[in-house]
Amino acid sequence: NVSQVPVAEGKSVQQTVELLTRKLEVLGAEKQGTFCVDCETYHTAAATIGTQGQTGKLMYVMHNSEYPLSCFALFESGPCLIADANFDILMVKLKGFFQNAKANKIETRGTRYQYCDFLVKVGTVTMGPSARGISVEVEYCPCVIANDCWSLLMEFMQSFMGSHAPGLPSVFGTKHDSIYSPSDTMVQYMELFNKIRKQQQVPVAGMR
Amino acid sequence: MADGVLSPGVNLEAFSQAISAIQALRSSVTRVFDCLKDGMRNKETLEGREKGFVAAFQESLHSVSRDLGELERLSNLVGKPSENHPLHNSGLLSLDPVQDKTPLYSQLLQAYKWSNKLQYHAGLASGLLNQQSLKRSANQMGVSAKRRPKAQPTTLVLPPQYVDDVINRIDRMFPEMSIQLSRPNGTSAMLLVTLGKVLKVIVVMRSLFIDRTIVKGYNENVYTEDGKLDIWSKSNYQVFQKVTDHATTALLHYQLPQMPDVVVRSFMTWLRSYIKLFQAPCQRCGKFLQDGLPPTWRDFRTLEAFHDTCRQ
Repeated sequence: NVSQVPVAEGKSVQQTVELLTRKLEVLGAEKQGTFCVDCETYHTAAATIGTQGQTGKLMYVMHNSEYPLSCFALFESGPCLIADANFDILMVKLKGFFQNAKANKIETRGTRYQYCDFLVKVGTVTMGPSARGISVEVEYCPCVIANDCWSLLMEFMQSFMGSHAPGLPSVFGTKHDSIYSPSDTMVQYMELFNKIRKQQQVPVAGMR
Repeated sequence: MADGVLSPGVNLEAFSQAISAIQALRSSVTRVFDCLKDGMRNKETLEGREKGFVAAFQESLHSVSRDLGELERLSNLVGKPSENHPLHNSGLLSLDPVQDKTPLYSQLLQAYKWSNKLQYHAGLASGLLNQQSLKRSANQMGVSAKRRPKAQPTTLVLPPQYVDDVINRIDRMFPEMSIQLSRPNGTSAMLLVTLGKVLKVIVVMRSLFIDRTIVKGYNENVYTEDGKLDIWSKSNYQVFQKVTDHATTALLHYQLPQMPDVVVRSFMTWLRSYIKLFQAPCQRCGKFLQDGLPPTWRDFRTLEAFHDTCRQ
């Protein structure tokens, strides 16, 4: 149902977002307020690595304004935990095992649009003070099997993103025909954020 | 024309005689009543008065019966007016000498021809429409209005067991479709049809007739707060609202009052084609989306997917 789209254009982030939203409005999409997805990174503390012989894993704790009462905790390739929003307080207590990498906090904010049964969220991804890229989330609400409506989603995304429409997200490949869940969305956001973090080290031309 | 009306058997001489005989009869009848009205005239004696009155009365009655006899004799001579004219008495209109002023007769003939043709064509049309009795509307035209109410009760009071059997058989026919039957309000069945992981349909039945259907999303709630099937509220999604409309159209299309089980089965077969609601592109324009909606229409015969505006 959902796919994240990183858009790195020759223009500034601001201009690209404006271009996208204008195209959506021409299509007939209606503005429906704003949205926000944020992600904090935690390192597993050194003490646990030594005893269990594991390499240091990263854990991400994410929030999504679409699910205001929930908190998502994900390992890079592992399970996704969905907890109540006060999970954050628990994390503070677990300081001994998980350490918050404050500098790595990343989030995307933007406008939520509705077009027929589609939900479109165009956001600007920011890390610290600087804008790093653009995220586009498209959800087709009536369909619960992501693979079923992929071609349909693709056609819709091409209608306003042109050639920047993305390929099939990796989550879809493993899901076959099980029911799509909010955690699938979060996994996609996590992957997008990781990609954008890496871009930081190798600056892409046109990123200002 | 005149010859046709006044056949050779009619004797014009006798005709005029008969008319004068009628006149004579009327005058003699008048005299009878005059006599009765005047009563007994003043005579010298009571006996004389009575005698005079009775004699006069008798005489006038005699003349009445004589005139009547004469009229009957003449009427036999006149003969009957011919009845073999195709338009019967209306044929007499053709005798009207002033055709130009009152063209009644020619108008009448035209109207007659027209109504004859109309009847013929209506007969042909009803024959043709009866052959395609799958449609409810066609049946109403073919079968007379009086017969319908008689035919209905037989299919309306099917035993619940039979309905269960029919639904069970359909349930087994389509593996990707599951049907839950419940009877919350007496004998009428309600079905909750779940089609793959695409959609849910609430079907309200009356015996084996489908009264109402509502299509909702797979992840939408189909129950009311007190746990009953919610047969009134519509889907939150535009796609399923559209599919609900089409399903209602299908109910009107699949009609065969003599075999209600066939109707239910064809409806379910049609409904099953929505398993590819999000996967099938439109057969006409080849696209998935049109105005933000996937192809929501399924052809009744071929079950092919079309956008609402792409089907013919």
